[in-house]
Amino acid sequence: MSSMIRTGDDRLYWRVQGERNRGLMGLFAVVAAFLALYAYLFPGLLSVAGVSKFAQSWLPLALVAMAQAILMLTGGISLAIGATVSLGAVIAATTMSGYFGVAGGIVAVSASGLVIGALCGVIAIRLRLPAIIVTLAASFIIGGLALLILPRPGGAIPGWFSDLLAGNTPAALVLVFLVALLWKLYLATPLGLSLYAAGENPVGAYRAGVPVDAARIAAYAISGLLSTLAGLFIAAQTGSGDPVIGQAFTLNSIAAAVLGGVGFLGGRGTMRGAIAGSLLLSVMINVMFFLGFPPVAQYVAQGLIIIGAVALPQLTARFRRRP
Amino acid sequence: MTPQAIIKANGLSKSFFGNPVLQNVSIALEPGRIHALLGENGAGKSTLINLLSGALAPDGGEIEIDGRSHRRLTPSEARRAGIAVVQQELSLTSDLSIAENIGLGAYPRRFGLIDYKALARKAREVCDLVGLEENLSTPVGDLPLGRRQMVEIAKALFRKPRILVLDEPTSSLSAHEAQTLTRLLQRLRAEGTAILYISHRLNEVMRLCEHVTVLKDGKVTADRSLQGVDAAGLVRLMVGRDPGDLFPHWTPSPERQTIVEVTGFSSGLLRDIDLEIKRGEILGLGGLVGQGQEDLLLGLYGALPASARRAVFNNVAGLPSSVSRANALGLAYVPADRKREGLHLIHSIAWNMMLPDFGKARGLSRRDPAAERKLATELADRLSIKGDLTRQVQALSGGNQQKVALAKWMPADPPILLLNDPTRGVDVETKREIYVLLRRFAAQGKAIVLSSSDTPELVHLCDRVAVMREGGIAALLEREKISEEAIVAAAMGAEAAKVAA
Repeated sequence: MSSMIRTGDDRLYWRVQGERNRGLMGLFAVVAAFLALYAYLFPGLLSVAGVSKFAQSWLPLALVAMAQAILMLTGGISLAIGATVSLGAVIAATTMSGYFGVAGGIVAVSASGLVIGALCGVIAIRLRLPAIIVTLAASFIIGGLALLILPRPGGAIPGWFSDLLAGNTPAALVLVFLVALLWKLYLATPLGLSLYAAGENPVGAYRAGVPVDAARIAAYAISGLLSTLAGLFIAAQTGSGDPVIGQAFTLNSIAAAVLGGVGFLGGRGTMRGAIAGSLLLSVMINVMFFLGFPPVAQYVAQGLIIIGAVALPQLTARFRRRP
Repeated sequence: MTPQAIIKANGLSKSFFGNPVLQNVSIALEPGRIHALLGENGAGKSTLINLLSGALAPDGGEIEIDGRSHRRLTPSEARRAGIAVVQQELSLTSDLSIAENIGLGAYPRRFGLIDYKALARKAREVCDLVGLEENLSTPVGDLPLGRRQMVEIAKALFRKPRILVLDEPTSSLSAHEAQTLTRLLQRLRAEGTAILYISHRLNEVMRLCEHVTVLKDGKVTADRSLQGVDAAGLVRLMVGRDPGDLFPHWTPSPERQTIVEVTGFSSGLLRDIDLEIKRGEILGLGGLVGQGQEDLLLGLYGALPASARRAVFNNVAGLPSSVSRANALGLAYVPADRKREGLHLIHSIAWNMMLPDFGKARGLSRRDPAAERKLATELADRLSIKGDLTRQVQALSGGNQQKVALAKWMPADPPILLLNDPTRGVDVETKREIYVLLRRFAAQGKAIVLSSSDTPELVHLCDRVAVMREGGIAALLEREKISEEAIVAAAMGAEAAKVAA
């Protein structure tokens, strides 16, 4: 039978991308509104320096949100992200001023993230253990490792490298785009796209010939890499390493991913959503700061907004179902 | 010359938890032939498919593909050999598009990336075959069930299979979609594909297939050409026994006093039904699956919100508002899904039997291990549950699990038993034991409501049968009027079966 290529079939990739935006329009609108509010409260944002500073405060959260989202897509979760960020920071601070220099430091940080992530993945996936327990245990081990390497804040990042990443340049913004682009590339590979199938319907995916375990372990490795890179950036920002600096990122990464519409049960959500979620969280924190909220009220508001963001789709769905 | 079989299974056996599911099963699939696989629920059809597709490893026997024999077939070997399975439960990912689902696991690549152009072309080809007109970028989660089933079939065709296995492909299809599928299968047959077709719709099988293998309790009872067999003959092949042997002799119970009476009862699917349940009788609930049978049981049991104009339970007016209230009124419920709702699989048999007692005990009172042990042993004796009571329930066969689910209510001696398909997936011997038990309960003056998907059970066991259709009682058959024909006719909406309701 001769098959007619129908209109749109030839642009399948872009149409698929368009479909993935559909559930996110509301989130994008809210992010835009908060950004506008932020720019209104703080007109300084609309300058190279303003954008650079804001992007620098956002980048680490964006990276860990992606690290968390990729695991949540596979149906897992990580409680070790904060500890991994800390480890990345201390490795960067101890290697970059040493013999191998900045390049050697970047390699060391990346390799440690990949290896640690893959190890967690192998333990959780191969031994069929719950991800939440494995990564909880891993968070103690990794956190301890960071403290062993650098018992108290110290080490150093070469000044020129700090200036390049966290000076008055929008390098952080470029990095966000770069990482997002690399993610798109990964998702265009069979292994990357298999993440969704492995997360939502592992048995069906396995029967269809998807290497389910490999896809999941790769997700853990990538998650570890993103986390240590976030740590590297924070070390560059502060100019030194701090073995407990990552702590807050574990829960914030979950919050950002959830705000971005990534589901807990696997296979639901998008990376662009997670990035938008981290942006929303970052802007929210900044806006509340400018409005003069005391820190405690900021936490409470943050919590309420997250509950609201998760409950809203549920409530609207229930409302719609009612005749 | 007859064509050589592409795939041949010789003497396959498989057990789960020591419970034989397949025994010495052989089947041969030939190119250009649609081969029907028939059998009742729990006959072992799905297990056989899983063995043929490498999803499970057989305990004994071998699978021969193109003359090469495999002791254990891996899923990837099966795929390479050209076996594609359309499973009954869907294997799709709802957030991925139609095209991405169809190609899953076999994406065309370019430079290591998915080649979306080639994917669109090839996916469109198979979509045309199954009549899917939708945009290829539509997320599968947006499609209705019947369309998803077509995507599932397209996904199997995408790999250009030599052997196509379809497990009840038409159960969720519209008439139009089923027709498209029929044409497709006829075309594939003409092209030389070997097709294994599983369906409960006998006329479909009669129309489409040339050869049939019938499974009964894990054994092949027929492997023959369909020529000269009619639908009744197929049913005989599947049932393969005079149903009378299985059931205890029916004798009416002396006591026939009404114990439950509801009028204008609504719950879930149910709208405004009237029902009387009497002591000493087994009231059957029949009909097609999902016509409100479960809602009726759960509504009576206080587990589903229900309302009624008038309700009397065991001389108390009003519907039970909760499960514990229902228990206090003398109701007990044994769910159909014993693995999820009826039992706590990882706990011991004795522990499961004690559970309703735990619910009744005052909070923080002490347990009495000696009394519990004694009670558990007594219950096991009464229901002939064999072996060590400290074993986990999941180690038992389906039939024995069901007996434990029943046993746990016995200490309270409830006068009203609500049973939801208690013999589903239960072996014949245990079925018989359960039937004897139920008749004995009725003789003791208990009222039993038995919802069943097994029509012979309703015919031979029940005093009255209420046939449900679309949330109402389509017919209430008295003992002398109960027959398989009458039940099926009422279930399908044939008017002849209207009796006093």
